[in-house]
Amino acid sequence: MTKDTVQGAMEEEQQAQSKKALKKQQKEAEKAAKKAEKQTKLAAEQQTTEEEDFAKDRYGVSAMVQSQQKLDRELVRIQDLTPEKADQLIWVRARVHTSRAKGKQCFLVLRQQQFNVQALVAVGDRASKQMVKFAANITKESIVDVEAVVRKVEMRIESCSQQDVELHVERIFVISQAEPRLPLQLEDAVRPDGEGEEESRATVNQDTKLDNRVIDLRTTTSQAIFRLQSGVCQLFRDTLTNKGFVEIQTPKIISAASEGGANVFTVSYFKTSAYLAQSPQLYKQMCICADFDKVFCVGPVFRAEDSNTHRHLTEFVGLDIEMAFNYHYHEVIDSITDTMVQIFKGLRDNFQTEIQTVNKQFPSEPFKFLEPTLRLEYTEALAMLREAGVQMGDEEDLSTPNEKLLGRLVKEKYDTDFYVLDKYPLAVRPFYTMPDPINPKNSNSYDMFMRGEEILSGAQRIHDSQLLTERAIHHQIDLEKIKAYIDSFRYGAPPHGGGGIGLERVCMLYLGLHNVRQTSMFPRDPKRLTP
Amino acid sequence: MPMYQVKPVCGGEIKVDLPTCMYKLPNVHEQPGDSCTSEHALQNGEVDPAVRALEARQDEIMRKLYELKAAVEGLAKTVTTPDADLDLTVSSSLSSQSTTTFKGIADLDAVLGKDPGALRDIVINANPAQPPLTLLVLHSLLCQRYRVLSNVHVHSSVSSVPPQLLSCLGPRHADSYARRLFQLGFTLIWKDVPKLQMKFSVQSMCPIEGEANVARFLFKLLALYPSDPAAATMVDNWVDTAFFQLAEGSTKERAAVLRALNSALGRNPWLAGSEFSLADVACYCCVLQSGSASSAPANVQRWIKSCENLGHFGPAKLLLK
Repeated sequence: MTKDTVQGAMEEEQQAQSKKALKKQQKEAEKAAKKAEKQTKLAAEQQTTEEEDFAKDRYGVSAMVQSQQKLDRELVRIQDLTPEKADQLIWVRARVHTSRAKGKQCFLVLRQQQFNVQALVAVGDRASKQMVKFAANITKESIVDVEAVVRKVEMRIESCSQQDVELHVERIFVISQAEPRLPLQLEDAVRPDGEGEEESRATVNQDTKLDNRVIDLRTTTSQAIFRLQSGVCQLFRDTLTNKGFVEIQTPKIISAASEGGANVFTVSYFKTSAYLAQSPQLYKQMCICADFDKVFCVGPVFRAEDSNTHRHLTEFVGLDIEMAFNYHYHEVIDSITDTMVQIFKGLRDNFQTEIQTVNKQFPSEPFKFLEPTLRLEYTEALAMLREAGVQMGDEEDLSTPNEKLLGRLVKEKYDTDFYVLDKYPLAVRPFYTMPDPINPKNSNSYDMFMRGEEILSGAQRIHDSQLLTERAIHHQIDLEKIKAYIDSFRYGAPPHGGGGIGLERVCMLYLGLHNVRQTSMFPRDPKRLTP
Repeated sequence: MPMYQVKPVCGGEIKVDLPTCMYKLPNVHEQPGDSCTSEHALQNGEVDPAVRALEARQDEIMRKLYELKAAVEGLAKTVTTPDADLDLTVSSSLSSQSTTTFKGIADLDAVLGKDPGALRDIVINANPAQPPLTLLVLHSLLCQRYRVLSNVHVHSSVSSVPPQLLSCLGPRHADSYARRLFQLGFTLIWKDVPKLQMKFSVQSMCPIEGEANVARFLFKLLALYPSDPAAATMVDNWVDTAFFQLAEGSTKERAAVLRALNSALGRNPWLAGSEFSLADVACYCCVLQSGSASSAPANVQRWIKSCENLGHFGPAKLLLK
């Protein structure tokens, strides 16, 4: 019994020892097993990737399009994706706006200009796990071709322009890949001023936007602005063509400064130098003298003004009008103002979505106008300003703050954002301005204002070479330099007048924006020559 | 018993810090005399009759002087005033075609303020759904009295306006290209406004709302309201009756107003007595607008005829067709 006990004790000892060893062994074995399991798992996984990716040819980065083949594939525009297209299998080419992976599915927002739609890649019989992973890793702003089924959704998708449908992706190919790091995020670029500051979210400053204009132009706001700008140009052309105007093209490299002489860019011209045209004025007038009766032109205008303000550019698009009239230069004012009113009406009636889009980021009051346009005389403006407490001389030009104040007063009384100010003092106008027949201190000249800022400056021009010479001498202008200009009136010239508008300024003021650079696609100012 | 005055022995006011726990009583030792002496009072508080007589004499003289001043001013007005040439042109144009004359001659400066040296433009915002007939009549009367520059605009809040509304102020004036040649501007803007609105000076005047009120303002440019407050109130009353009961009222109310018009016109040729006034303009337009002209009683019919004979109701009548 004792032996037994001893034996037992020894056994116990042994057992204890062996227990420890066993434990160790077991642990090791477990480790090994785990390792093996892992390995087999990995192997299996590798196997599955190799074997089980049934959707292998349903996604990928396609070869660079070098026009290898001409597919007859019909691509549907995102704006046309409506509930009527439900359950159809379609192809779409669009940018990846955002992507969000969530387990076995990946949500993409596909964007085409200002329209976007939600797309879904989910593991199923059409898409594999790998495909979902691939979709989730496509960089933002890449261009993709997607084959998908259009499905109606029960809950409206508030964040997209196509709210009633989504796409269930069956194939997805990257056509052009974007770099993973973007210089600016599109969502930040369209965030309204102030909103970002409150929620400490990023906003993009003007210079970053302009430095990366290509990406900035992709935003809904920019898309809307430049669509509207194109509309302004189109309406300008259509209205004037209907009125019997002829579109002309004028040279931009000229030998003499057209307006006064200051603020011109000099360019080298072979062995001499030339200037960049400040306005097509001279050529417009020559066309009138050449019996074109009514002309307009749309083209670049250059001003070497070193002013860094919200409304000055060194190159902008000028919309210029010049027309011969019968008896009174108000015929010209009526033509121009009617053209402007037609533009405003066209924008009001046909570009409401664009205006709303811009308003989301840059809220402003809708543009108001009267038809026919309100015309005030300079003395009336002075009286209004004096009543408001501004001290001004009769022959003094309006300063920019006074212009703004006058704009507010006129808006208050007449509720219009667009008006004409007629009969400027002769002293503040260029030498070729026709003096007033009754009061020699006044002139037959006018400015037009939008939201209190000048957009057009025009006048009846002197069409008599003798009077023109007198006025030039009075202004102490070197007659030799403007000889060609004066000469064009020596062989009979009809009475005429006109004016020029800056396209960018009109768009800026119509939309109530605060910087002309927002409405210039690639703005040029004293500090910016690129892009 | 009369006694001579003695100066106070102690210095006038002695400040004593009074405890606040007690209620206050007037100072029994205070001398009441100080304030009275300035009014030439005798010691017992009565005013000297001699001083009183002097005062009365002075008042009498001042009154006579004011009367004299008023008389001279009246004379000056009839002989020569800065506006004499203005009145001449007005009277010449009146004599050429006028049928109505107003007794009280209103003055632009008096109603609209000092001449700013530029056109004085009255802006009226009206809803094209409710054309302001009375204002058209008053416009026609104003044109007869002053050189009026009339403009009609359409505001961008209104998409389109029937052509007769665009020409409701008559054909364009031949000189309309030169705004400075006119004394008064009448700018009618068809706009989406809930209530008719008139603006003149943004700085010194708030907008006037409601057709009746604007009509009262414009009428003051034509003729002064009757100086008799009772008569003026009567004119005002008729204007309100026209706008509230004729134009907006029920059939019953309208019938009652027509009866009232009939009895008033039985006594006088015009509503406010022997003179044509704003009451006639307002009531005429509202009778016309409510469509009860044909069914009106005899006196009203006669009065409508005589209104139309004045020749200023043409534009308003045209709009209703």
